[in-house]
Amino acid sequence: MSSPLLRLEAVSRSYGARHAVDEVSLDLHSGARHAIIGPNGAGKSTLLHLIAGSLRPTGGRIHYAGHDIGRWPAHRRARAGIARTWQHPALARPLTAVQNVLLAVPGQRLTAIRPQPRAVAAAHTALAQVGLTELAERTAAQLAYGDQRRLDIAVALAAQPRLLLLDEPSAGLATSEVTRLAGLIRTLPADIAVLLVDHNLDFVSAVANTVTVLHHGQHITTGTPTEIRDHPDVRRVYLGTDTPTSPTPDSRATTAAVGTPVLRVRNLQAGYTGAPVLTDITLDVPAGQVTAVVGRNGAGKTTLINTIAGLHPAQPGTEILLHGQPLTGYDARRRARAGLGTVPQGRRLFAGLTVEEHLTLPRPHPTRSKTVDTRHVLDLFPALAQRRHHQPHQLSGGEQQMLALARALLAAPDALLLDEPSEGLAPAVVGQLATIITSLAATGTAVLLAEQNLALACQVAHDIAVLDRTRIVRHITTADIREDPAELHDPLTVPTTTPTPS
Amino acid sequence: MGGLVTPYTITALDGVAYGLLLFTIAAGLTLIVGVAGVFSMAHGTLYLAGAYLAWHLADGGWTGLALALAAAVVVGVLGGAGLAAAVRPLTDRPLDQVLATLGIAYIAADQFSAVFGAEPRSVDPPRAVAGSISLGDYQYPIYRLLFIAIGLAVVAALFWLVERSRVGAVVRAVVADPGMAAATGLRIGIVRTSVLAGGGALAVTAGVLGAPVIGPAPGVDTTILVYSLIVCVVGGLGSIRGALLAALGVGQILTLGVAIVPGAAAFILAAAMLAVLTVRHRTALPGRPS
Amino acid sequence: MTTTLTPTPVPTGTSTRRCGRLPSWGLSAVGALGLAAAGALPWLVNAYVISLAATALVMAVLAMSAQLLVGWAGLAPLGQAAYLVVGAYTAASIATATSLGPLQLLAATAAGAVAAAVTGLLAVRARGTTFLMVTFGLGELVHAAANQWAPGGSEGVHAPPVVALPGLPPMVRPGWVYLYVLACTLVIGVAVAILVRTRFALLLRGIAAHEPRVQAAGHHTGWMLLAAYTLAGGIAGAAGALAIAVTRYVSPADAAMGISALALAAALIGSGSMTGACAGAILLVAARDWASGLLGGHGPTLLGLAFLLLAYLPRHRLAGLTTRFPRRRT
Repeated sequence: MSSPLLRLEAVSRSYGARHAVDEVSLDLHSGARHAIIGPNGAGKSTLLHLIAGSLRPTGGRIHYAGHDIGRWPAHRRARAGIARTWQHPALARPLTAVQNVLLAVPGQRLTAIRPQPRAVAAAHTALAQVGLTELAERTAAQLAYGDQRRLDIAVALAAQPRLLLLDEPSAGLATSEVTRLAGLIRTLPADIAVLLVDHNLDFVSAVANTVTVLHHGQHITTGTPTEIRDHPDVRRVYLGTDTPTSPTPDSRATTAAVGTPVLRVRNLQAGYTGAPVLTDITLDVPAGQVTAVVGRNGAGKTTLINTIAGLHPAQPGTEILLHGQPLTGYDARRRARAGLGTVPQGRRLFAGLTVEEHLTLPRPHPTRSKTVDTRHVLDLFPALAQRRHHQPHQLSGGEQQMLALARALLAAPDALLLDEPSEGLAPAVVGQLATIITSLAATGTAVLLAEQNLALACQVAHDIAVLDRTRIVRHITTADIREDPAELHDPLTVPTTTPTPS
Repeated sequence: MGGLVTPYTITALDGVAYGLLLFTIAAGLTLIVGVAGVFSMAHGTLYLAGAYLAWHLADGGWTGLALALAAAVVVGVLGGAGLAAAVRPLTDRPLDQVLATLGIAYIAADQFSAVFGAEPRSVDPPRAVAGSISLGDYQYPIYRLLFIAIGLAVVAALFWLVERSRVGAVVRAVVADPGMAAATGLRIGIVRTSVLAGGGALAVTAGVLGAPVIGPAPGVDTTILVYSLIVCVVGGLGSIRGALLAALGVGQILTLGVAIVPGAAAFILAAAMLAVLTVRHRTALPGRPS
Repeated sequence: MTTTLTPTPVPTGTSTRRCGRLPSWGLSAVGALGLAAAGALPWLVNAYVISLAATALVMAVLAMSAQLLVGWAGLAPLGQAAYLVVGAYTAASIATATSLGPLQLLAATAAGAVAAAVTGLLAVRARGTTFLMVTFGLGELVHAAANQWAPGGSEGVHAPPVVALPGLPPMVRPGWVYLYVLACTLVIGVAVAILVRTRFALLLRGIAAHEPRVQAAGHHTGWMLLAAYTLAGGIAGAAGALAIAVTRYVSPADAAMGISALALAAALIGSGSMTGACAGAILLVAARDWASGLLGGHGPTLLGLAFLLLAYLPRHRLAGLTTRFPRRRT
């Protein structure tokens, strides 16, 4: 076989002690259709940035067409034939679609007053390739979200690349649009190599010949979609550290029956730059119970938590009630004051503040009946006591998570929103976390937990809602899962059935 | 001792006084930019207001100074709160905020020259500290030494307030992550208004205390604005430590630098900005993953 | 982090024709009428108003310089007066050798461009509000340096009247000076109109909207912004030569923030159109000098009020007053 078009040799990118990409090696030949998958924080997008040149690697080499391009700036790599798209369409919104494409058509003089006919023809060809000929004269801002994504790809294609990097091309697209996109990628000229990152595994199976799985920045395995599906490590990566074969039965059954819903969510709708992320979400979380929302990466779990917390705008029609009091018109602070506690994804600790200062910030609002005993909260997290004068970046992942939890609990919330608390934590710490969450619910707090780690979800939750492609597709009690542990695997991992292109 | 006191160390001492004055003004501005996201072009105007206040109320004794200081706090808080109210409808429109505060600065400057005249006014320090003492072979104004002492006290107080107190923790939390600060139950709007009011009070107070050093005159508002802005850019927006280092550096460049290489101050300042921006260049670009 | 300062740049080329309410012959008719009125001005009004009109034209050129950065590259400068002063000092210096106006204009343009190219190395590293602060700082540093280094110190220097073409007498009457400045402004305007229709200008608008996208299309955005900054500096330098022709005097005070702020505000009034920027400059000069003359002073107050008005009025509505405007997204 000829030498590869792109060769990554032990490429790394670290931020301080954290390795976003950790010694990943990969070969890509002309004509390849290669996908990178992996759970949140696996380093997929970072890897694309490293190849495109918007980030520099901190270790390893990147060879492209015989050159070591590790230190080349982004524009030089683009000239060498590397084109890319972004997670959110990267377009010049005030310019028309054809002008956007013309930005990327190579070989034009800067001083040209009219674009050369050849360039215009090339731009229209690229637009025709993605099916946007009709909309060529509309400004990018006027295009629908799906059309913007296609325009983004047209701009990348117009540069006549040898290597095309696609960052989550199917995100936010409807099923029919995803099918069309898969068709488009399959019909690209055979000499273009395509490297794509995506969460939609049906889509990945439909377009990719080979798939690489990343986890915590590390290369897990590379193979055909079929091989990946059956690979035991991959299942483990997606399902958490342990499969939930035997969730520990405990006294939960006694508390499970109690409680009117504390937190009620009705018809929640939310989106991102025009793309629907959540539609028609309805959930009840009673006092003393843990409801888990599980789903693949990109299913909308974080958007759900942020929308309820007031960190992301909800669309009209959404109703969020806490103790029957509507929160929908409130900002994040008034929701917190009404009794909603949030532990967001990535913890969002305040950089530059010590642990002690974090713990002085939240105070239960005087109008609330519930009070909090600071010492009692801190007793839950003994590790923090020895770290009072440390700043977040000096803490371990587990300690950071404990601090984020303590910060939320000090405001004495009636309902607690937890977004992927197990992310990046060692199994032992996850076990500790499970104990804490269970004991919180036992004191009467309503907990809504968004988790990718099914093992943790099954261990602490009373019922589980499965989020898939913007909706809740199933809602079952944990007891039922105990009967049939494999039931939830399909919606959470690589599909075990052959994808049927619709 | 004698070997230490040279014309250069005397000038360097002037530089410390100058730097501390700049810090008092710029610390407010850097917090205003960092916390409220408002680049206030009226910040120099507040200093000028303080300087005119000192000129108006100075009676050569301590009473006048005390009166001026009290008035400065009131004027500063009201001015800062007024600015906060003025830019509130312009949230997320930084260019319009610049225009609005610039407009206010223009109107105020015009009113100042209408009321106080176009010629520079000199403000004398209280008689008790008006003289000078000898340092080695040189005479040095007592007021300037006093000013250095006050400046150091301001530095200490500000550091304590921002880095040690709960109020400071709240302010820094809002700088770090406004959204999450709100979700923790902090009142972002009130924090922003208070920072503008506090920064205003600092600037006007600096005007009262600094009037004997940089006296009131038309155009002083712009000069002060430029220097405090350079301090903010070099020190990093929202950082008190950075502002202190940058202010002391700019103070030395404007005194010692001018004494050693006359006329080069502008170029040294530009070079300092260039160096800092070059280092931060990669993070300054929009759209880059952090 | 990605605070965008830019008012959405608005196409002035093809789309103007499409979106304007007037047919194209109507637009040219209005343009021709305006031009005729501008040309006939010296015979219509008194000398004071004529010299004001000449000043307004100088500011219009400076506003075009600011507009190239705001409306196209998406960077709001608050130090364009520095390059005007560089151009003015250059014109005044070579006036001792030649009074030929066009020659002074070329030299001033070159000097402004060189000064902008050097200082631009610093400025184009910043984006958003930081760019504004850095250009403001640079402008004030040039102001300070001019006090220290420029001939004449803070007193400034005087220059003899300019000669429009070889063989003609020096222009002393305001009417002739005004016509000379008008002709130069038209020439600069045509050059700028060509510039903003090039592919370079399209790429600048791409950078303003999404810089990484233009990088990923294979363009070195840093160099392009530096080129834009240099061109803007050249235009500002040309404005400096025109200022010398009008006032025959330059001092460091001309580099003051007020001039830069006026240029930036005029560009913002223009909302992404060069004609709009010129109209904005003329409006602001009229407010500052003419209206304040009627009210007995307080020019800065009027200018401040204009800035406040500009900040609080919805920009697109204001733009509708000064220039035809295509439909835009809300």
